[in-house]
Amino acid sequence: MSETIRPLPLRVATVADDADRSCLMRIAAGGSDALDELYERYKTMAYSIAYRITNDATLAEDVVQDAFLGAWRNAERYVAGKGSVKTWLLSIVHHRAIDAVRRRKPTTELPDVELVPPAQFQVPDVWAEVAAELDADDVRRAMATLSDVQREAIELAYFGGLTQQEVADRTNTPLGTVKSRMRLGLMAMRRVLTPDEHEVEPS
Amino acid sequence: MTDPIDGGMTCDEVRDLAAPFVLGALDPDEMDAVRGHLASCAEPHPEFAELGSVVPVLAASVPQVEPPPALKDRLLAAAAADLAARRGASGATAPSVSVPSVAAPPVSVPVATPTPVGTPPAAALTPIGAVPDPEPVVVMPRRSTGPSVGTWAMRIAAVLAIVVLGGWNLLLQGQLSTAQSYEQAVSAILDVAGQDGSLTVLLTAEGDGGPTGLAAVSASGDVTLAMRDLPVTTGTQVYQAWVIAADGVPVPLGDFQVMSPGTAFFTGDGLPTEPGIVLALTLEPGPGATVPTLPIVSLGTATAAG
Repeated sequence: MSETIRPLPLRVATVADDADRSCLMRIAAGGSDALDELYERYKTMAYSIAYRITNDATLAEDVVQDAFLGAWRNAERYVAGKGSVKTWLLSIVHHRAIDAVRRRKPTTELPDVELVPPAQFQVPDVWAEVAAELDADDVRRAMATLSDVQREAIELAYFGGLTQQEVADRTNTPLGTVKSRMRLGLMAMRRVLTPDEHEVEPS
Repeated sequence: MTDPIDGGMTCDEVRDLAAPFVLGALDPDEMDAVRGHLASCAEPHPEFAELGSVVPVLAASVPQVEPPPALKDRLLAAAAADLAARRGASGATAPSVSVPSVAAPPVSVPVATPTPVGTPPAAALTPIGAVPDPEPVVVMPRRSTGPSVGTWAMRIAAVLAIVVLGGWNLLLQGQLSTAQSYEQAVSAILDVAGQDGSLTVLLTAEGDGGPTGLAAVSASGDVTLAMRDLPVTTGTQVYQAWVIAADGVPVPLGDFQVMSPGTAFFTGDGLPTEPGIVLALTLEPGPGATVPTLPIVSLGTATAAG
């Protein structure tokens, strides 16, 4: 029964047991399907936004793959932070897609600041739940509150990858006006979606 | 606080940029300046969460498009390659990941070993299909007659998380190179674990600080085992591997000696292949034991890899 017995003395492993054990425990706890699961849950959202921005199926696939890989590599660091994984993932996809359309060379590793957004930028849990329940109708209503110029400024920036200065140049509008349009547009959408509270309670 | 922080922006300037910031509409220097301010400013900046909370709605407003099914296979395969790249990079910064070709050549396990001790690992790994390679090569393990790449990729991804998370911790500690030999042995195990019907086993010691390991059992009953933190054997001492099936009787699988402390690699065959079998390791006074000598050094239960 015992045949290919093959002792293989290798270099001494002096790595801390704790690091090894903790990773084993995570697998034992069933975390091994994490990437698969994450992808299944957010693939449509990720691909849709990437496709909307790049308008190129191949590029969108690359963006999505790159974004999920980045998330996977950095999941452990992210876990320490508190915030919506969906929002975090979305921001990675968005940044990668914008990079792609700006023809910037994508960085192989995202800087920490991008991976773990400052606390102020993290969406409160309460909002995340609200957002998760938004149906297409809510989204349509929110988008409908935007004036044409607000929508133009927001869409050129968010979907077109233009900086505020580029939006100003493109629309022949003063920079301050562009900033106002963006801010007022986002605030208007927010009021539609959270009619009962116009200020976010610090969570 | 309205004074500039570290010569950066004032709070008012940062507030003014909140909307373009959450939309990603600042140039990189401005983005960094805002981030730097938020990271160090004692003042609350709720405007970022308020405006930022709407951004997912923008994303939800786009027409929903399903990605092609093949993208998932590519992603999982790239994750596997990413892992292999980390191991092959000798602790250097992980190179950017290119999508591995589906038509990758047959099994080639990274065999980079800067300071091999004893038997060259490449030769020792041969039975489980490793191809010696002079360079730290990162090639997706792929069995020529195995399951589809998609199935393989999903199975391997499940197992990979062990190594990835482990590698992650090691990377964080800057100790990757010291664990490299173990990781290489593990890559051989991954190859087995990627096959249809394979089982994986996590071996742990009772209490803290004992030897731990990882094993895979193929559908045909071959076992590949890597252990770490094993004390050296002396004299005629051997470590003996056992399998315990549903009948509860330990059956010897074979034994091996550990000449230099640390990692050991072992293969055997003839195992039952049901999930739930237990692999155990004991330290025996000599080869040929038919009953395990307690205490058990390390043990674990087999679970389906897929």
